[in-house]
Amino acid sequence: MAANKSQGSYYTLFLAAATVFCAGIYEYSGGMGKLLLVVGAAGLVGSLVGMMSIKSLEGRTALKPSPGIMKLVGAGVCALGWLITLFGMHLTPSVGGRIALSLVGIGVTLFGIIVVLPAAFNKNAVWKS
Amino acid sequence: MVLAMGAVAHAQAPAAAPAAAAPPPSAATAELAAAAAKAPAVADLAKGDPGGAITGTINDVPVSDSTKGLTLPDTANQIGQNKIAINFVWTLVTGYLVMFMQAGFAMVESGLCRVKNANHTYMMNFMVYACGLFAYWLMGFAIQMGGAAGNGNLGGLQSLTGEHTMSLFGKTWGLFGAAGFLLSGHTYDVGVMVIFLFEMVFMDTALTIVTGACAERWKFLAFCVSSTIMGAITYPLYGNWAWGGGWLSQLGVNNQLGKGYCDFAGSGVVHAVGGITALAVSMIVGPRIGKFNRDGSSNPIIGHDVSAVLIGCFILAFGWFGFNPGSTLGASAAGNLRIGTIAVDTMLAGCTGTFGAMLFMWMKNGKVDASMSGNGLLAGLVAITAPSGFVSSVGACIIGVVAGVLVVLSCSFVENVMKVDDPVGAISVHGTCGLWGVLSVGLLADGTSNYGGSWNGITGSVTGLFYGDASQLAAQLVGISTLLGFVFTLSFLINLGVEVFVGQRVSVETEVAGLDLPEMGQLGYPEFVFKAEPGFIMHANEEAMAA
Repeated sequence: MAANKSQGSYYTLFLAAATVFCAGIYEYSGGMGKLLLVVGAAGLVGSLVGMMSIKSLEGRTALKPSPGIMKLVGAGVCALGWLITLFGMHLTPSVGGRIALSLVGIGVTLFGIIVVLPAAFNKNAVWKS
Repeated sequence: MVLAMGAVAHAQAPAAAPAAAAPPPSAATAELAAAAAKAPAVADLAKGDPGGAITGTINDVPVSDSTKGLTLPDTANQIGQNKIAINFVWTLVTGYLVMFMQAGFAMVESGLCRVKNANHTYMMNFMVYACGLFAYWLMGFAIQMGGAAGNGNLGGLQSLTGEHTMSLFGKTWGLFGAAGFLLSGHTYDVGVMVIFLFEMVFMDTALTIVTGACAERWKFLAFCVSSTIMGAITYPLYGNWAWGGGWLSQLGVNNQLGKGYCDFAGSGVVHAVGGITALAVSMIVGPRIGKFNRDGSSNPIIGHDVSAVLIGCFILAFGWFGFNPGSTLGASAAGNLRIGTIAVDTMLAGCTGTFGAMLFMWMKNGKVDASMSGNGLLAGLVAITAPSGFVSSVGACIIGVVAGVLVVLSCSFVENVMKVDDPVGAISVHGTCGLWGVLSVGLLADGTSNYGGSWNGITGSVTGLFYGDASQLAAQLVGISTLLGFVFTLSFLINLGVEVFVGQRVSVETEVAGLDLPEMGQLGYPEFVFKAEPGFIMHANEEAMAA
């Protein structure tokens, strides 16, 4: 399909709604602020739904469906590594212990990024077929 | 204008006769009056001053009360304003240099792409400036810097006092700022405008990294939406944690980890955030048609203009003199005279990074690789960005050469092991070497810097493991873990959302034809005759069209 007028219109709505939404945050303490917030949020949702409605017009892409659960598991493993580091700081007061736990956390996250997610995306990759 | 000028009287204005009851002038005031009397008269100045010896004297100091003439408080106020003015000008000019880096990024990325996608790649680099700036003005700046009050270099920034905090393990942690939406209200302030401009161009640098990694197949609408969200949320959040008074900067105060997470000019905040987001989006967008063969081996897809690539690298290296020395946020007071060291460290790391990549490729493949040499320069610059304010010139050389070799290894790993297609090497240059830069602070910071006597609220100088402080390394590792575990995950989930709502990738037909006409409506080089693409690409194109 490539670029078209609808895309331009929905992105314009997205930017306008984001502006109204942020004006709502700025004026939140007043009654007008809450109204702007709601209007902005509705506009953002509307723009995204609009973009979704024309997404299928793009046509076939060089991507095949890949397992969504595996992608979420990969993201979860990445976040888990961060949490290990985060709470590891409070498990031990020793610098060596904190460095070790940080490295464990980084290792778990890298496992998610380097192993789990590529496996998810490459499982049904177009280039394999 | 006239009213504004009338508000300040100058010392050379004739003083009115003192009131009868006025106290006798102090010795200092009398001395100032004597100096004013000896200063060059208007008649002297009217003759011209070719040597510059009589221009800029005590007569140019504004006085608050012309009846009293110049007083000590007037002089002290002028000194204070001079300090802030020097720092404003320094920060703004270095910010303009960083803004110019967008041109370098555009040339590097487009040069490394095929000619059929030149307009699209240039346009992404052009529009990322507007998308990011608008999003940052709307809310990104408020999230990042809304609680960053207390910077003495820029006059205090006292209107930025909106940091949201959370109590955990008995300590208070900064989460995000909340002052400065649309730069309105109390943040309509001269100092805030300066820090906004400087932080904004940094943010835009992070955003433009993603466009390179996803070039030649990223749908323009998806790019616009993704970049806007990154400028509004992802980048500012990590920026707050590191630079805006957030929890990473408090690791020293709350957890006794060195001086807290230290990232002088943004190896982590700017480059790693950009590179890691680029990795997340590249995974979702998928590899270009023809990049990988059925057996998983990869094909080189050569860019169309190596001259643009190398000139772009030089523009980036020039802009880096804004990036690193500018991050002092001033040239006057608070240890800011270290700007010379920072600039030299920046040059040296770029130099050794270039050598590292060029020599490694030369020894490995028997040929000098121009694009990889350019990436080596950028890798060295990326890596020195975090430690530039804390290391010696020897340390800078070590950091640069390691980055130069690392970028080659990382490009190969990302492509051949992870099967992620990154046409320009942005993930490796900015992501991998950005992480190395963050780590290197914890290793090589030499404890000689002194920015006002403290960093992140901890007295003393930032000192790494090799100079005696292992706890700084721990703080840096927490930062790296946050970049990989939090920023990657957040970017990945946001862009999965963009994939669901917008669709990240162009159609097969668009990709095969090149993105210029279908997406932009115009070829980058309309008078060029396109050469047939290599056989493996033609074959892959035919297969993709037929599938």
